Amino acid sequence: MAELLRANILANFAYYRRSSLLLAFMLVFLLLTGLSSLPPLFMHSGVQSFDTLRQIFSVLNGFLLFFAGGLGLFIISSHLRSRSLKMVFTKPCSPALWLVSAFLSAVAVSLLLNSIVLAGAAALSLGWHLPVRAGLFFVSVDTFVASVGIIAYLMLLTMLVHPAIAVTFALIFNAGLFLEFQQWAQVVIRSGNSSLALRALERLFHYIYLLIPMVYAFGKKTEPIYSSLRVVHSDWKYLLYSFGYVVVLAAFCYSLALFALQRKRHI
Amino acid sequence: MIVADDVHVHFRRGLLRKQVRALNGLSLEVREGDFFALVGQNGAGKSTAMYCFLGLLKPNSGKVQVLGRTPDLGSPLYEGVAYLPEEPHYHLYLTVEEATRYYASLYGKRIPTKTINETLQRLGLAQFKTLPLAKCSKGMKQKVGIAQCLIHETRLLFLDEPTRGLDPLAVREFRETLRDIHQRGATIVMNSHVLSEIEMLANRVAIIDRGKVVVQDELRNLLTLDRELYSVTFEANGVVPDYLTSVERLGGLVKASIPKERLYDFMDFTRISGLHVHECSLKKVSLEDSFFKIIKGGGAPV
Repeated sequence: MAELLRANILANFAYYRRSSLLLAFMLVFLLLTGLSSLPPLFMHSGVQSFDTLRQIFSVLNGFLLFFAGGLGLFIISSHLRSRSLKMVFTKPCSPALWLVSAFLSAVAVSLLLNSIVLAGAAALSLGWHLPVRAGLFFVSVDTFVASVGIIAYLMLLTMLVHPAIAVTFALIFNAGLFLEFQQWAQVVIRSGNSSLALRALERLFHYIYLLIPMVYAFGKKTEPIYSSLRVVHSDWKYLLYSFGYVVVLAAFCYSLALFALQRKRHI
Repeated sequence: MIVADDVHVHFRRGLLRKQVRALNGLSLEVREGDFFALVGQNGAGKSTAMYCFLGLLKPNSGKVQVLGRTPDLGSPLYEGVAYLPEEPHYHLYLTVEEATRYYASLYGKRIPTKTINETLQRLGLAQFKTLPLAKCSKGMKQKVGIAQCLIHETRLLFLDEPTRGLDPLAVREFRETLRDIHQRGATIVMNSHVLSEIEMLANRVAIIDRGKVVVQDELRNLLTLDRELYSVTFEANGVVPDYLTSVERLGGLVKASIPKERLYDFMDFTRISGLHVHECSLKKVSLEDSFFKIIKGGGAPV
């Protein structure tokens, strides 16, 4: 089993290395980030340097989240669409094992990219004579944990529907949208319209909001860390909570994706 | 080794979800050591049958057993099984060496680099080992698929249209490799349109028509001698007797068929005209003849 896992992960790494789509996505984003970061680089006060660092770090972490979605999406869609899984499942390698290997490969690449961004941010701090704040590490780990959730969610969606629909669904129908819908319904109810239909709708939005995976499950609690890059002792527990949330989410998405893969009538 | 009993597969296609019957009560048996060929027209159900044997497609009804078990995705029964799909179904982003190692490793054992290199050398792929499969010819990709059989000595090999798109030299090489694998004791199940290819390789044949096996027999029983017709090849002098049929002109020679009762007339004709007869024998029924006769509803020719 270890050899099967290893063989699949190595093949998936080769896929990521040679995926021109992922590479193009990465290059375009890095180019845009680089261009937008150029002007602040020529300002030399300590405060401006810190703001620049925070901005670059924030943009790169945002990119990592999008990229993580791409990692999950492409590994599933490319194998399903090319029908190359025929070569895998006609050998003693189960769909469960292949799916785990795809997930682990995407997580490993995401971890590597997060580490590079963290190391880059630490190097910039040292280069600009700024203290290397613990917030950098916290935000990096938090982003990585969120990336794992996004990978699992996108893998599930891609297993169920066409990749374009999966991306549209993930981008538009996210937890934030349904929270806004719920809040809108609450405002209307408070303003005097308390019809049964509206109340039912408010509950429906609430349950969908609870059901749809969140990128940052404890975003409201950790928001100050993202802006100040300062961490107090009591903040670390949120990393643990986020990790717990993502483990449950990933397990749920994995089980559902595996069920969908096994139920596919034609591989 | 493989038993299919009354297998039905149907799909729904198009906007109106029209039902298409891909397999319609297919039953067949492949025995250990067979070189078994599935023959049929386009859309007859050959590939669908193979997908059912490989667990890639679940039948709507009926029973499929491979090596005594019901095939399922990634099942342990595939430890001795290899499958060569049609061209696009390989991991095209891997290089020749990576793909050979990957497919071989999917049997659960780490393969030493020496074994990989020796196998690539044997198949003539050593100098292309860093070439991505996306840039390889179909023949090279098929060899990558074959490599897994050589590394693991597979007991059962499935081939889906293996020679489609190969040049004549590659076909010949491929045929030799398959003969070698078969002689080592592997059972081979192949589906192909190339009937001459099947004639050279298979020992048992199932002819599939509209999702059903219409004939399943030893190849030698399908390749019989037609005792009503003679096949002759003789020198041409411009005159061809009217009782000759299926006349083909090959340079200075004429190849044709003669009904048995006109053979002596033909001999008189060649003697009087002073023509040399190069060949005269009972006409052989080719697999193609049998195939067309069966498909057109004439039943088995023997």
